[in-house]
Amino acid sequence: MILNGAARRPRTEANRSSVLEENELLARVRARDLHAFERLYRIYQPRLARFLFNLVQRPQLVEEVLNDTMMVVWDTAGNFRGGSKLSTWVFSIAYRKAMKAKMRWPDPVEEQPFDPRVSSDPGPDEELEHQRLHDALMTAMNELSADHRAVVDLTYFHGLGYREIAEIMHCPVDTVKTRMFHARRRLKQAMSGQMFDWI
Amino acid sequence: MPSDPHDQAEELIPWYAMGQLDAADRTLVETHLASCARCQRQLAGEQVLIDQFQAMSPEIDSGWAQLRGQIEARPARPSVRETLAEFWDLLKRPVVAVLATAQVAFVAAAALLFQWISQPTYVALGAGQAAASANIIVMFKPEAREADLRGAIAGSGGTLVGGPTEADAYLIHVPANARPGAVEKLQRNSNVTLAQPIDAAQ
Repeated sequence: MILNGAARRPRTEANRSSVLEENELLARVRARDLHAFERLYRIYQPRLARFLFNLVQRPQLVEEVLNDTMMVVWDTAGNFRGGSKLSTWVFSIAYRKAMKAKMRWPDPVEEQPFDPRVSSDPGPDEELEHQRLHDALMTAMNELSADHRAVVDLTYFHGLGYREIAEIMHCPVDTVKTRMFHARRRLKQAMSGQMFDWI
Repeated sequence: MPSDPHDQAEELIPWYAMGQLDAADRTLVETHLASCARCQRQLAGEQVLIDQFQAMSPEIDSGWAQLRGQIEARPARPSVRETLAEFWDLLKRPVVAVLATAQVAFVAAAALLFQWISQPTYVALGAGQAAASANIIVMFKPEAREADLRGAIAGSGGTLVGGPTEADAYLIHVPANARPGAVEKLQRNSNVTLAQPIDAAQ
């Protein structure tokens, strides 16, 4: 039956050990350990870069917002009480910083489409098909609002549940579900013909 | 939340596909999926989409060197001595001084009241002084956890004999000759906001 094994299972053991490591690093950051902070930075940099790229869509802004975010982590590490996951706290700072940065740069990006590289290495035909799908997906993503892109990215790439996303974006869980529902509908419409019909 | 089971399940499919639902939500989706061909197709499409997303990552250079430079270029954080000096300057302002004095007086009065209330109502003939009368009052930051409190008190060599009072103060007993050191240790503890003797040194 289609249900069996359909859902991806979270890698709980790996998640647990990385959460432990991150919390240990944060404890050292509280004691102003710059080496621990560098390690934490290198853990979060790729994830935040991806998340911020999706939100602000300006490569030159990503590094600035990312560093602003991590500077807040450095300055206020002592305020993190563990009421949520460390990643939720860091992403919620990044989200607020990104939204502020977008207010400073309200106009759409001067044709700098979100164009991350496909990292797999398939054969020529498969590569062409992947590229077509990738292009269609990127075009569709670029047509979504920043909030819709954030929900899609946090769900599909960062593997977060809707409650955690609601915490990061400071909105009700039903808003997250609704944004995801509409984002998927828009993606589906935009990619019509590229993927098999969903409905 | 939609009332229709199909709409409810459809909303949750992305998180079902990612394995990010709790048991109740998962049961809801699986029960519905078993009888809905449309949602089964959505789930299959969802997984293609997830694979596409996960295969992509933006190439953003690390800005660590710049961030490190910013941190190192900042002036050093003020020392404890400087912070205390600033605090003292603040206390010297008339309005603040009156308020602070009133607060300390309230805490001391509450501690003395607590001590009076906690005295035994009778003492057997020949009994010595109560073994553990409080001689230090200590207050902690609101966010300090129970383990922090225990650690601070044990680290000072004291024994908890009362508290929390109405003002959230704790009363500690230490041997008279160890009191100055215990007070100093408590005052150095980052979770402690106030630590001071509350009776004449014995």
